[in-house]
Amino acid sequence: MEDSGKLRLLRFIKKDPELSFSVLGLLFLAVLIGFIQNPFYLDVLIMILLWALLASSWNIAGGYAGMFSLGHGAFIGIGAYASSMLFIHFKLSPWVGMIIGAVAAGIVASFLGYICGRLKGHYFALATIAFVELINITGVQLKELTRGSEGLSIPFHPGWLNFMFESKVTYAYIGLVFAAIFYFLSLTLERSKLGYYLVAMREDEDAAKSLAINTPLVKMISIGLSGFLAAIGGTFYAQYILFIEPDTVLSFNFSVQVALVTIVGGMGTALGPIIGSFLLTPLSMLLRAYLGGGLAGLHIVIYGFLLLIVVFFIPDGIVNTIRIPLTKYLKGKDIG
Amino acid sequence: MILQLFISGILLGGVYALVSIGLTLIFGVLDVVNFAHGEFLMIGMYTVFWLCTLLHMDPYLSLLLVAPLLFFMGLFVGRTVIRQTIGAPSSVQIFATVGVSLILTNGALVLWKADFRSVTTTYGSGALALGPIFIGYPQLISFIGAIVFSAMLFPFLRYTYIGKAIRATAQDRRAAMLMGIDIQKIYVFTFGIGIALVGIASALLAPIYSIYPSVGSQFVLVAYVAVVLGGLGNIPGAILGSIIIGITETFSGFFISPGWRQAIYYAVFILVLIFRPQGLFGQKQ
Repeated sequence: MEDSGKLRLLRFIKKDPELSFSVLGLLFLAVLIGFIQNPFYLDVLIMILLWALLASSWNIAGGYAGMFSLGHGAFIGIGAYASSMLFIHFKLSPWVGMIIGAVAAGIVASFLGYICGRLKGHYFALATIAFVELINITGVQLKELTRGSEGLSIPFHPGWLNFMFESKVTYAYIGLVFAAIFYFLSLTLERSKLGYYLVAMREDEDAAKSLAINTPLVKMISIGLSGFLAAIGGTFYAQYILFIEPDTVLSFNFSVQVALVTIVGGMGTALGPIIGSFLLTPLSMLLRAYLGGGLAGLHIVIYGFLLLIVVFFIPDGIVNTIRIPLTKYLKGKDIG
Repeated sequence: MILQLFISGILLGGVYALVSIGLTLIFGVLDVVNFAHGEFLMIGMYTVFWLCTLLHMDPYLSLLLVAPLLFFMGLFVGRTVIRQTIGAPSSVQIFATVGVSLILTNGALVLWKADFRSVTTTYGSGALALGPIFIGYPQLISFIGAIVFSAMLFPFLRYTYIGKAIRATAQDRRAAMLMGIDIQKIYVFTFGIGIALVGIASALLAPIYSIYPSVGSQFVLVAYVAVVLGGLGNIPGAILGSIIIGITETFSGFFISPGWRQAIYYAVFILVLIFRPQGLFGQKQ
């Protein structure tokens, strides 16, 4: 009996190595969080999960659909500001605010997808830059609501209802649950009809159209979903950092970093943004911690060089470069 | 008052034009949107600042050093980075230039900190009075400089051999190559010229604006708007687009509020991209 169970597991791993390894990785992380005592390492892990969330959301539009947004900060900021302002001004639970912000960002993003949908490549990127700058100015100017460029501090009242916790472990588990949801959502999308539509559109829009794919609608759905998820990531950011300002969450730089994490990991793969975040987030945090304030910005210089290296040498990102030969190897192995 | 706003807008537009021309030239020939364009402007402005502070050079005189310096910097980046992106998917093009932009902005932040610096001149605060209208000398000089240098570009592109080769490459790469033009060299050279124009702009702008690591983005976003308004790749269009943006900016700053004035042209930008992506004066393809 035991033998057949083992065989069934092996068959499953062979059939779907990515999913099985991801579940294994998830369980490993869940156990790992319980063992980490050092608050700095815990902080690093939470930030990795946070950036994985943000990058996963970008990946839906930028990776699968090929809509290179350089303005995702706008959607992340809408989420962060919506939940925080509703909490501060109306005492509304950030959990509810998160959903409201996500729906708002989703609607705004679909609208942007509707009006800018026919723009290609760099034109779309330029439009999203203008869009994030527009939202940035709005955030700075609406001082009564957002406190402008001073930034918004979220008062710390820990509790489940307020989405704030004394312990970093709780944040880490919530981040892990979110990351898992985002991951499985991306994987489901990747393997669904809609996912194939997105990839077909990315590779050749005219051909996709001629196969009766409603590309404007598909674009609206993908960027809408992307904006929705980005806003959820934004709320998680606000609830963990407890401070948001237009110069971070609503900036072009922040938007570029979100895209960067995905590009390094691998665009158009569910695992890419997570792998990208596991590589880049600790790198930037360690550099910042050890170099101190004296060399502020050095980690982004390194990011820049890394971006050039990845773009020129492994333009498909790490996951795509490794996955294809690895899957072939595993499939080739004769199990059961 | 309306006239004053109008004149200030045109002067401002002239300054934006120098940044925009380089951007549109690079796009027209290389078919690459240079997301690092503003960062070269920032490097140029810092160079002017250091020449003025350390060597007590006049900022406008420093143009003679800054423009060639940026030309060579353009050649270097053009050869190492930009040339590899020609014909590559747009993700490669976008993120390669974004990478250069990240390196330059944050490199400047590491080297020179986030402090705001400024170049002062003895004549910087003077203004020319024409009846009820006042025109600041630095604004006037930068406008005239912008006009002179962009006017010099036209005969260069029209009559010199290399200018003709650049235009031929912009029109049809393959045909240009078949005619014996080394298009790889033309790409790098054009990028150098575009960046040299930014160098000229930086010498003209340094006496007017504060200098800090992210100063470039302030101008380059305007340049994108102007270039798209004029039609990507269209040089006279970029000049006209810059002047339209300059006038829009001064008017909306006065009638709405200074804080919102940039929001107006970003909104205009998105609208133009949607309704006339070929630019205001471009032909439908």
